[in-house]
Amino acid sequence: MNKLNIELTVNGKKRKVETTTSTRLLDLIRDDLHLTGTKEGCGKGECGACTVIMNSELAASCLVLALQADGADITTIEGIGNDKCLDPVQKAFIETGAVQCGFCTPGMILAAKKLLEENPHPDEEEIKRGISGNLCRCTGYQKIIDAIKLAANRLSSSDSGRGEKDA
Amino acid sequence: MPKRYVGKNIYKVDAQDKVTGKAIYPDDIYFDDMLYLKIKRATHPHAYLRRIDTSKAEKLPGVVKIITAADIPQVKNFGLIIKDQPVLVGIGQKMRYMGDALAIVIAESKEAASQAMGLIKVEVDKLEVISDPLRAMEKDAPLIHQDSNILATHYLKKGDIEKGFTQADIIVENEYRTSTLDHVPLQVETGVGIYDEESGVIKLWVATQWLHDTQADIAQSLGLSKEKIRIIQPVIGGAFGKKEDISVHLHLALAAMETKRPVKLTYTREESMIAQSKRHPFIIRMKTGVTNKGYLTACQVEVIGDTGAYASSGLAVVHKGMYHCTGPYNIDNVRGVAYTVYTNNTYCGAMRGFGTTQMAFAYESQMDILSCKLGIDPIQFRLQNAYDIGSTTPNGQRLTYSVGVKETIKEAANIAAWKEGRP
Repeated sequence: MNKLNIELTVNGKKRKVETTTSTRLLDLIRDDLHLTGTKEGCGKGECGACTVIMNSELAASCLVLALQADGADITTIEGIGNDKCLDPVQKAFIETGAVQCGFCTPGMILAAKKLLEENPHPDEEEIKRGISGNLCRCTGYQKIIDAIKLAANRLSSSDSGRGEKDA
Repeated sequence: MPKRYVGKNIYKVDAQDKVTGKAIYPDDIYFDDMLYLKIKRATHPHAYLRRIDTSKAEKLPGVVKIITAADIPQVKNFGLIIKDQPVLVGIGQKMRYMGDALAIVIAESKEAASQAMGLIKVEVDKLEVISDPLRAMEKDAPLIHQDSNILATHYLKKGDIEKGFTQADIIVENEYRTSTLDHVPLQVETGVGIYDEESGVIKLWVATQWLHDTQADIAQSLGLSKEKIRIIQPVIGGAFGKKEDISVHLHLALAAMETKRPVKLTYTREESMIAQSKRHPFIIRMKTGVTNKGYLTACQVEVIGDTGAYASSGLAVVHKGMYHCTGPYNIDNVRGVAYTVYTNNTYCGAMRGFGTTQMAFAYESQMDILSCKLGIDPIQFRLQNAYDIGSTTPNGQRLTYSVGVKETIKEAANIAAWKEGRP
């Protein structure tokens, strides 16, 4: 199998990785970089569990070849926030009970981040559309929608300088 | 009690790990010298295995070993209620559905394992494929296992069914069919195994719903004592009943013992669809009697549950479905029979509701049809027949507390803004 070197930025860090022509970006992230927060649910771009942000766009990393990510800027769930500093979206997911089995959660949070970046005040329909590429099989959609609303409220109130409303 | 939790918002204990991507699911476990497994599965839904040739696959670079039934003569069948599932189908033995395992491919990489799987040659003697449980029940149908295709027959009797139908002014009889359903937990079947030569302990990281039953079943299948099987429950990416059955466990254990190296097996979604349990499709024949005033008098039911190639929880699921034939409604006279039937479909097991979900489709449809014939509002019709404290279920259980069906119906009607027979 042909081995090829690529270079990409993952969560702000430059990474050089040896990969192959048949390796998916998802495999590179999980197997080579061991960033296992990115999940595989279907392998067909249907479920959204493997969602990452690639060059500012949401991408199903199971449908992207590693080679296509050469030079790309990738954000995975590990780049969103950590135990010391949680992102407001992560915090809202915890507080509203939007996390059940948790397998869809990283992809959902990335989709929510992207949505709020483009549309800081989404209504319910816009939230539903924003997470329409992500499946939750524990059927926890309502609480996920609540979480995104809560995060949107907090982000917009902190933007206007009033600080977090009910942190 | 120092602290009270009821009525308060408590954060899920592992929510923070899950929102940061730190939670470790079985497929997230890696070891440096880990090997990858792939399972060569049945090539026909009902056939005798005549020949299996792994020679070409074994020569592929990266392939460490291919285990077939010939390598494991001591290993026994497994199964939740009946031990009817083979770990690997051997020469002269039968494959009974497309998920039956024929060989375990062990390789240095996922790619090599997948490629090798494609190089295994299988020859079979085909038999009639039984995909319809009604065909399976016919006298001339070939047997899928040694005994009858009707794995179990359960009966139900309450009151006097003849008297019940005599009291009825309207009798409605219909046949209902429900379909096979996959649970589709987002995480497929997956796990990692290690064998410690010194202690003889097999350590498995696999998501499972019945940790100790699974441990006991693995032990009896491998002929080991239970303390030699250690299952570590990582975070589970959804289960919904699908992870009650053994999936990757025994293949991981065998490969770990064979290679003395860490091994990982992760199904593809397609494989999970083909090989792992489903919700039982039911055929329900239901006859319900009611008086002109809208009181239910009799319910007679026949249930045929297709449990597929293996029993799994089938016996329990199908008869539990039958026990719920009246739903939450008072009926004094009930008679039922339930057949759990083998076919060559993917085996069926536990799924949320455990048989009652299928039955709800039948009895609630009967309620709507009856209310229409009676000219009574379907909400009113349900309320006047619904369980109260003191009601008795078809199998004789007297309900002494927590009977909320009337409040539930009223609240549902309220939320739906129910008015004059429609929402």
